[in-house]
Amino acid sequence: MLSRVADNLYWMSRYLERAEHVSRLLAVKLETMIEQSGEHAEISWRRIIAALSGDKFASTETIEAFAATQALAFDRLNPSSLINSLRLARDNGRQVREQISTEMWNRLNRLHLKLSPVNLAAIWDDQPSHIFRDIVDDLYMLEGIVYSTMRHSEGWDFLQLGRYIERAQLVTRLLDIHFGPASRAGASPNYVDWITLLRFCTGFEAYCKVYTAAIRRNRVAEFLLFDAGFPHSVRFAVERLAEALGRVAVGAPAARRWACERLAGRLKASMDFGQIDELMGSSIDAFLANISAQCEQIHNAVYAAYIGYDAESAL
Amino acid sequence: MQQNLFAAATGAQSRTADLAIYSKYRLGGAFDEMFAIDGTVRPPYAELHRRIAELSPDELRQGQQACEQSFLHQDITFTVYGDSQTTERIIPTDLLPRIITAAEWKRLDAGLKQRIEALNLFLHDIYAEGRVLKDGLVPRELIYRSKHYRREMRGVSVPHGAYVNVCGTDLVRREDGKFVVLEDNLRVPSGVSYMLANRDVVRRVFPAIFRSVGVSPIEHYPQDLLQMLKSLAPAKDEISIVVLSPGVFNSAYFEHAFLARQMGVELVEGRDLVVNDNAVYARTTSGLKRVDVIYRRIDDDFMDPLAFRSDSTLGVAGVFNAYRAGNVVIANAPGTGIADDKAVYAYVPRMIRYYLAEEPILDNVETFLCREPKTLAHVLANLEKLVVKAVGESGGYGMLVGPHASKAERDAFAQKLKAEPDNYIAQPTIQLSTVPCFVDGGIEARHVDLRPFILHGAETTIAPGALTRVALKRGSLVVNSSQGGGSKDTWVLRR
Repeated sequence: MLSRVADNLYWMSRYLERAEHVSRLLAVKLETMIEQSGEHAEISWRRIIAALSGDKFASTETIEAFAATQALAFDRLNPSSLINSLRLARDNGRQVREQISTEMWNRLNRLHLKLSPVNLAAIWDDQPSHIFRDIVDDLYMLEGIVYSTMRHSEGWDFLQLGRYIERAQLVTRLLDIHFGPASRAGASPNYVDWITLLRFCTGFEAYCKVYTAAIRRNRVAEFLLFDAGFPHSVRFAVERLAEALGRVAVGAPAARRWACERLAGRLKASMDFGQIDELMGSSIDAFLANISAQCEQIHNAVYAAYIGYDAESAL
Repeated sequence: MQQNLFAAATGAQSRTADLAIYSKYRLGGAFDEMFAIDGTVRPPYAELHRRIAELSPDELRQGQQACEQSFLHQDITFTVYGDSQTTERIIPTDLLPRIITAAEWKRLDAGLKQRIEALNLFLHDIYAEGRVLKDGLVPRELIYRSKHYRREMRGVSVPHGAYVNVCGTDLVRREDGKFVVLEDNLRVPSGVSYMLANRDVVRRVFPAIFRSVGVSPIEHYPQDLLQMLKSLAPAKDEISIVVLSPGVFNSAYFEHAFLARQMGVELVEGRDLVVNDNAVYARTTSGLKRVDVIYRRIDDDFMDPLAFRSDSTLGVAGVFNAYRAGNVVIANAPGTGIADDKAVYAYVPRMIRYYLAEEPILDNVETFLCREPKTLAHVLANLEKLVVKAVGESGGYGMLVGPHASKAERDAFAQKLKAEPDNYIAQPTIQLSTVPCFVDGGIEARHVDLRPFILHGAETTIAPGALTRVALKRGSLVVNSSQGGGSKDTWVLRR
């Protein structure tokens, strides 16, 4: 497969994952707003903004729900806004139009056409979370269409790689905000926050199946980090990305493949053998930071090995 | 104007007055393909006319919307370059098909095959011995001074002598109903994806009419294209073919992606290819992979910064040398533009007689070469009746439609003509034929042209269909999509 095509598929998938994440966070947040008191609502908005934009958690500006939603979803100047993620996903898809199925492309294009004309002010007093639920549903449908209409070969593997590397980083970031240094500044997260965090990751029901409805801080962390079967856990994402990496670029020189697989294997091992109670004692901050750093290294290794390699050396 | 209200035309009243949908249909100077001048329906259109009468305006409107929705969702769009900004638009597509009879098609098919054969012989000649120039049939300076003449192509051997592999000839139908050639597009003609997309959507909207009329299939075009491209490479088990596109910002990007997908070959951009030791490779995730045939959708100028324009970032450095060395095939060959230069066009009928010793089956539009002083004077004196075109331009840029231009526009153009007469040709304004189009809830006549696509490799094939471009504004004769034209499906009848 062309390196540029792999690049576009990989990024298309990352942006779709990001769009799904933003939409779900906003949908959950807007749905739970009514249940939260002023101070708590404010701090949970801060967490969302920190999770989605990388802003400093300790920002002192007052946060207003409408402005925050507008900025996270519709602000074209905010590079990680929902509308920009969908636009970038479509732009990447458009550049590999011949590689993706017509069904996929139509859905991707319609998604973009659907969000563009939405005026948040006009739907705000009604039920603003609906649009974000809709987008999440559309993205699930797109995922199903991809699964059913695209050949599961190298292109599909690059989509998997993009999706799961992005997911591992996004979930890690959410965990960092809830369990890392930020969670110790100001009011510490409470029971409602743990439930909200699970719902941010579509994990509330799945959590209850494993641990019953007893919501405990360490168990929530364990579930979202280490559960092997839950699609939004970091471990699940790491395993899928390692599998995808094992399947791409089979014809590439062994040394290049090894550089990527070694990094993925190392990250996978730390997820397979991590132990939550040990981590929660002291080293959780470093552990989470390390996952992010390793994802970044894998990304760079993939680029060096398969996408941006030196043509002279490959002859 | 010589146009009459259709309902008022003699004899029309009794037949169509009850059909309010035709109330704005005007017949006049142009040949109308559906109605004879007395308002009777021409036989090839009888079935379509009968079926339309069974549909309500609402049903037609729904059909039209289904067409547009389908194009929008597939993102079948075209980029329009303006002075200050570029915009992405859907090409408006009209849901009523245009019909060509089997007999008409047979003549077109034979005429186009004859023409492409002569044009390829001409290209071979001017890049080899130059017999046609020595014999004085075509003026030497017309060739050597043209910006489309590629000195670099002299002496290059081209598989099957096929320089033009994909051709999209524009034909128009004169007032007398006869098809004539308006121009040969021999460089990187586009539009074939619209031919196929129009068919796809209209067949879904009108399945019943489609079946009952008996339409020749065109869906095999991508296979034909692939077969033709394969025929250009030296025979071996696995021939690696790519479509080279300038990229996603090109106005025809949709088509490049469409063709690559339909053929099952890679769509590449210049940055995906590297040349080493006069061989071309694609950069893949598994390493570099050899390329045998490049179907390029990028102009000569931008193809290779080492051979042509050095400021091009779209091309592939060294690809032309690889081509000269015979290690890769480029289709169409570089330098074909010399034969669709608007001045050289005027000589094509003579080429057919010269190379093939046959009479041209398809005529040209009468063409005045402004390079001849006497002709220039005639053109200047008759500007309000003529269409004047810059010889090296395409896409409707750099042209004057005399009857539709203001006096100031004509005067300004006259200055350009006098300054550079070599650069212009003029043709009489042809009342392009009209066909029924669904406009604003009614059916009206609109002017159209016809662009069939000819493939020429080891053999010559033409899918029995074409892109019909429509001038959507009432009375307008400009069909170019860059100038706001639309398109419609074109049915070649089986019998």
